[in-house]
Amino acid sequence: MPVRQKLTAIVLPFTVLSWLILLTSTLLQASPEAAARVGSPPEWVTLLAQAAFVAGVFVYLRSRPDPLRGTDFVGLLRRLVFGPGLLATVCIGLHLLERLIQYEHPTADRVLFACIYTINLALFVIFLAYTNYSWRSLVLFRSAARLRRDWLWFELLLGTTLLFRLFAWTPPMPVAYFIMGGLAVFGVYLSGNQKWVAYLNRRQKWEVVFMQVALLLCLGIFTLYFLRIAKDPKLVAPEPQHAFLLLTVFFAGFYSLAGLLVTFFNLPTAGVFEQKREEILSLQRLTQLIQKGQNEHEVYQMLFEAAIQTVEADAAWLDVETDGEVHTGQLFNVSEENVQAIRTLLADYNLGQIEYLNNDLPNSNGFRNLELSYGSLIVMPMRSAKRQYGSLYMLKEQRQSFDRENLGILQTFTSQTVLSIENLQLVAASIQNERVKEELKIASSVQDSLIPKDLPIDNWFEISSHALAAKEVGGDFYDFLHLPGKRLAILIGDVSGKGITAAFHMAQMKGIFHALMQENPLAKDDREKFPVPSKFMSMANRALTHCLEKSSFITAALYIIDYEHGGFVFARAGHCHTLYYHSIKEEVSYFHTAGMGLGIIRNDSYEKHIKNQFYDYNPGDVMVIYTDGIVEARGAGQEEYGEDRLLQMLEHTYYLDADEIKQRILDDLNEFSKGQPMHDDQTLLVIKFKAAQPEATI
Amino acid sequence: MKIAQQTTENTLTLSLDGELDASSSVLLDTELTKPEVLDYKKVLIDCQRLNYISSAGLGVFISHLQRFQDAGVKLVFFNMQEKVHNVFEILGLDALMTIVPSEAEATAI
Repeated sequence: MPVRQKLTAIVLPFTVLSWLILLTSTLLQASPEAAARVGSPPEWVTLLAQAAFVAGVFVYLRSRPDPLRGTDFVGLLRRLVFGPGLLATVCIGLHLLERLIQYEHPTADRVLFACIYTINLALFVIFLAYTNYSWRSLVLFRSAARLRRDWLWFELLLGTTLLFRLFAWTPPMPVAYFIMGGLAVFGVYLSGNQKWVAYLNRRQKWEVVFMQVALLLCLGIFTLYFLRIAKDPKLVAPEPQHAFLLLTVFFAGFYSLAGLLVTFFNLPTAGVFEQKREEILSLQRLTQLIQKGQNEHEVYQMLFEAAIQTVEADAAWLDVETDGEVHTGQLFNVSEENVQAIRTLLADYNLGQIEYLNNDLPNSNGFRNLELSYGSLIVMPMRSAKRQYGSLYMLKEQRQSFDRENLGILQTFTSQTVLSIENLQLVAASIQNERVKEELKIASSVQDSLIPKDLPIDNWFEISSHALAAKEVGGDFYDFLHLPGKRLAILIGDVSGKGITAAFHMAQMKGIFHALMQENPLAKDDREKFPVPSKFMSMANRALTHCLEKSSFITAALYIIDYEHGGFVFARAGHCHTLYYHSIKEEVSYFHTAGMGLGIIRNDSYEKHIKNQFYDYNPGDVMVIYTDGIVEARGAGQEEYGEDRLLQMLEHTYYLDADEIKQRILDDLNEFSKGQPMHDDQTLLVIKFKAAQPEATI
Repeated sequence: MKIAQQTTENTLTLSLDGELDASSSVLLDTELTKPEVLDYKKVLIDCQRLNYISSAGLGVFISHLQRFQDAGVKLVFFNMQEKVHNVFEILGLDALMTIVPSEAEATAI
C-alpha cells in the first residue's frame, strides 16, 4: 500500500512540525513583547497544534514494528522503563531547573516556564504513547481475532476524545461522564488480558514486578507535575487535551497495576509452573539428546540423568534387560545390596514388570523389613509392544514425594527412550540388510558372468537353454566346452546354499571344469586324452574336499557328446536324472543311474559311488537336462511339479524344435506355479540330436 | 517344522514334522550338535511327517554323518515318504545312510 507508506513517512516530520507550531504559539502567548511584534496567535492554532502533535506521536508509534520480540516480556518492559521511562527524570530535572532559576532570579517572565512546559508535555505524550503500544503487544499476545477488533475500537474511541477540546465542545455533564466512564470500563476490560504473565519463570516475575512499580512511578511523576502546573498562575497555554490524556493515563496506569497484581499473586505458584516448564524443557532436551545417542548405552545414560534431574530423585538405578537377563545399567546414590533387596522384594510381590508407585515405604509390608533410608519409590518399566527393555527405579528420602505427574513424565521419558532404542536397532538392521543386498548383487553378477552367453552351434544338434535365478542367489550353473574331434562337453550343476558362498563355489566348479578338461599330452590314445565323466567327478570331488564347508555339497552332471560317432557318455554326481526321448523306441524315460553328490564323501572311496553311462543316440532323440528348481517348483497347493509331469511334457513335445520344446515346458511350469514365489534357481537345457547334414557352404 | 524327541536307554528318536528348509535346518543342526547325542548307540529319525527336505536339510545330515560314524553312533531313517526318499536317492545318500521302511526295522538294527 504505497499511499499508506507515504502517509507513514510524513507522520514524523508532521509531528515535529506540529510541536514546533505548538511551541511558537505558546511562547508568543507567554511573551507579550514578541506577541506585540508578530501578533498573538488565536487559541485554536494552539489547540490544533496540540491535537495534531498528540495524534502524530500515537500514529507514529502505532506504525512501528511490534516491540515484543518472541516471548521476551521482561525485555519489553526493560526497554520501556529504561527508554521512555527515563523521560520522567528529564521532566523532573527541567522542572527543578526552572524552579532554581526562578528562585535565584525571581521574574515575572513566563517564557522559560512556557518553554519547559511545552517540552514536558511532549515527553509525557511520547512516554504515554510508548507505554500504550507496549501494552497493546501484551494485550494482543496470542489473542483471538475478537480481542484485536476490540482493541481497534478502543483506539478509535480514544482518538475521538481528542476532538472534544478541538471544537471547544464539551458534552453536557452526564453525557461526558458517561462517555469517559464507558471508555474507562473498556480500558479495565482490556486490562484483564494478562496471559503473558503465565510465561514467566519465578525470577522473571520478580523482575516484572519491579519494572511495573518503576513504570507506575514514572507515570505518577508526570501526572503530579501536570496536576501541579495546572494550578500555576504562570500557565498561559490552554489546558492540554484533557479527556484523551486522562483516559490514556488511566489505561496505562490500570494495565500496569493489573499486570503488577497478577504477577505478584502469581509469584507463589511460580514454582509449580516452573517445574512443569522444566519438565517440558527437559523432555525436549532428552528428545534432542537421545536422537544424538550413538548407541543404546548412551541413550540409557541420557534417560537416567534426565529422569533424576526432573523428578529430583535422591537415589535411582536403571535395570537393562538383554536376552532375557536383567543387569544393572546405571546406579545413583544407591548400594548394590539395596538394589538387589528391592528387586527381589518386588519380584516376590510380582511387581517387577509394572508401573509402581509407593509413597510410604516405611509403612509397607516387606519394605519395612528392609529398613531402607528411603520413603518413596517409583518403578517405571521400559517396554514396547514387542519386548521389555528393563525398568527405571527412582527413590526419594521423604514419604509422599512422588505424584501422578511424576509417573506421567517418567512414562513419557521411558517411551521416548524405547522409541529411540528401537530406532537405533532399525537403523542397524537396515544397514545390515543393505549389506546383504549388496552382497547378493555381487553374487548374482558373479553368477551371471559364469553362465555362458553363446551356445555351441553345429548342424548335428540343437541346443536351447534357460536359466533363471531366484531372488536370493542360488547355485545353479552350466557350461560348455568344445573338445577336439567333434566332441562337446556339457556341465550342469547346483551348489547347495545361497548367496556369495554359492557363487564362489560355482566359480570354483567352472575353474575345475576348464582345468580338468585339458588335453593330457601323456595319454596313449585319443580316448584317454580327456578324463571320462566318472573320472572327472572323482577328481572334482578331491579338489573340492578342502574348500567346501562341511554341510555344503554340489550336485553335477557331465556329458561328453561325440557327434562324430553319434554317442555320448555321462556321469551323474547326485544331480537330477536325465530325461530322454528315444526316437527308435518312441519312448520317453529317465536315465536312472547311480551317482553321489560332490563333497558328501571326502575321501577316495567316492570313486565307488560314481558310474559312467554310455549311450548311442539316434537322430530325433531329445535330451532334457535341468536342475531341481524345475521339478521342485511349487504349485498353488504346495505340491511339486515333479519328474512325472516333466516326462509327460516331453511326450507331447518331442517332435518340436529344441527351442519350442523348452518354451512349452517353461510355459507349463509357469502355469503350474502361477502366483507362487520362486524358491530356487531354475535351469533347463534341451538338446535335440539331428541327422548329420552337409555343412553350409559359404 | 517341529522336532519331537523321544529317548530310551540306547536310542534317541527325533520325529520331524513339516518342511526341513534353510531356516528349520538350523533347529535340527542345533539338536544334532548337542554333545549328549553321541552318548546314544542309535539316533533314529522318524520321517513320517517330513514333507520336504531342502539341500540345506540334507547338508545337516551330511555334516553330522562322519561325526556319528567316528563316535560309533548309528544314524537310521525310517517311515520316509517316497518323494523325500527320492531326494536321498538322487543325491546318492541311500548308499551312505541307513534308510528302512518301519520303526520296527529301525530298532532291530
